[in-house]
Amino acid sequence: MNRLRAIFLAPAAGFTVLLFLVPMSIIVGYSFLTRGVYGGVVSPWTFENYQRLFDPLYGVILWRSLVMSTAATLLCLLIAFPLALFIARAGARRKSVYLYLVILPFWTSFLVRTYAWMFLLRDSGLINSILLSLKVISEPLPLLYNETAVVVGLVYGYLPFAVLPLFSNLDRLDKNLLEAAADLGATPWQTIRRVVLPLCAPGLRAAGVLVFIPCLGAYLTPDLLGGGKSIMIGNLIQNQFTTARDWPFGSAISLALMALVMVLLMALLRRDGEEAL
Amino acid sequence: MDIALQLTNLTKSFPSHKVVDGISLDVPKGCFYSLLGPSGCGKTTILRMIAGFAEPDSGTVVLNGRQLNGLRPYERPVTTVFQSYALFPHLTAAQNIAFGLERAGEKPDSIQLKVKKMLELVGLQEKGDRLPANLSGGEKQRTALARSLVVEPKLLLLDEPLSALDPALRKRVRIELKQLQKRLGITFLFITHDQEEALTLSDQIAVMNKGKIEQIGTPQEIYLTPATRFVAGFLGAVNWVNGAGVRPEFTHISRRPPTNGARTVQAQVETSAFLGDCFHVHTRTGDGVVLTVQVDHHEEQYSTGDSVHIWWHAQDELPVRE
Repeated sequence: MNRLRAIFLAPAAGFTVLLFLVPMSIIVGYSFLTRGVYGGVVSPWTFENYQRLFDPLYGVILWRSLVMSTAATLLCLLIAFPLALFIARAGARRKSVYLYLVILPFWTSFLVRTYAWMFLLRDSGLINSILLSLKVISEPLPLLYNETAVVVGLVYGYLPFAVLPLFSNLDRLDKNLLEAAADLGATPWQTIRRVVLPLCAPGLRAAGVLVFIPCLGAYLTPDLLGGGKSIMIGNLIQNQFTTARDWPFGSAISLALMALVMVLLMALLRRDGEEAL
Repeated sequence: MDIALQLTNLTKSFPSHKVVDGISLDVPKGCFYSLLGPSGCGKTTILRMIAGFAEPDSGTVVLNGRQLNGLRPYERPVTTVFQSYALFPHLTAAQNIAFGLERAGEKPDSIQLKVKKMLELVGLQEKGDRLPANLSGGEKQRTALARSLVVEPKLLLLDEPLSALDPALRKRVRIELKQLQKRLGITFLFITHDQEEALTLSDQIAVMNKGKIEQIGTPQEIYLTPATRFVAGFLGAVNWVNGAGVRPEFTHISRRPPTNGARTVQAQVETSAFLGDCFHVHTRTGDGVVLTVQVDHHEEQYSTGDSVHIWWHAQDELPVRE
């Protein structure tokens, strides 16, 4: 039995150690070294990379990332909740069709889908051309290359991650509870507020985490839709490893981001644990 | 007597069949009224149409002279005790009970007072701050009952509320439920497939089968004078012999033929089953008809293969013919 367990665990364990723990250790090592002139790392060992994190210049980027990720997460939950409720209340056959539609975007590369948004939002894009031809506006609206465009892109990209956990939560919700609420005089709105939402707290938290974390580390969306003006932490890290050729600092930012995410996750997990009791 | 609930010609079809087929009945005010029937007979659908979870295809639901058809569930002065209780798992027993009062917009101190009184009424004063997950089956049942009663409904619907309890507890809760109903004077419409439950609890019983009412009457009336063969069989065991039906407790057994002029058939004992408070002796006649006789402890006992006479008085025959 123990041998079988070892055999079953081996692929996942080997994969994780070789492709996750080893590179992670390298990054940790790099973050305490000094940058080489043409990239790479050289001695001596130093804490300087971590001290630089507190430079106000980077604080602005961190703050912007947090604000934009929070906005994207809240918007995702706001859109995903009614959608998930609708899917959960649909008949068995329709339910699977709707779920299929929710994950359909994953069939195409994220990069291609983000480019599609550029075609929609740019000055000569679909939205502006339609509004111009309808004479609603006389000049193209600045839809692309700003923070709103980035948030729109993030919401679009991560919406399915919010819909799925919320759906599974709502789908398991005892339909009798909704009838009991109505029976006791609760209007549909009151039922949602007093019964459905509180019972969906675990799903909302799961959805929030699943959207917020990838948003915080996003780099493709702000790069393409933000036009380099409203960069996020992900772009900063990418910059360090490419143009800035500062691998040690890039490593330090990566680890700081990871630490931040872990602290947030642990706070949430602790709440879930308390509720389970 | 005043009529609380009046159902007139209620009909409901599902794509495959008619679930409720022209049901009309009057429930008097303050009555403990049972809808008794096998699963799938349409009794739950009737309850759902009264509560507003389903709309009838035709017919009317009238409560205290006011037609309820078309009203949303939250607009109807009717509450339900669900089979699964449907307690809100995120709210304590007290909060569950307060739910309906809050929706009605009552003042917080009035809510608190009513919840406290209701917890005392159902004997849960110590358990008010517990979540449903930390309540026993019987406590959950009482919380669900309290939650529905506290809003003082004009009619309380109970959907097999005792079926999830273990048998010993069920019998005790049955007595409590009956006492509570008499004390509060609220009209109860009780749905059950358990004939013993219906007989012990009800003032009136409507026996249903295949979407139709077979008979309406007091427990004694439907047990002793069933209108149809279905009612006779659903309410208790019946021996069908020579076209007549007799209940096992009115059927007698002896080794010699009776001399009192009673109707009699000869049979052989197959088995004798001990039921605790009595025995059921199963016998078979020469024609292969199985007859069951209830035999008390102090009576003579029989064993397999004994030749016996089965007899009964003509006046004990059920009025329904085979």
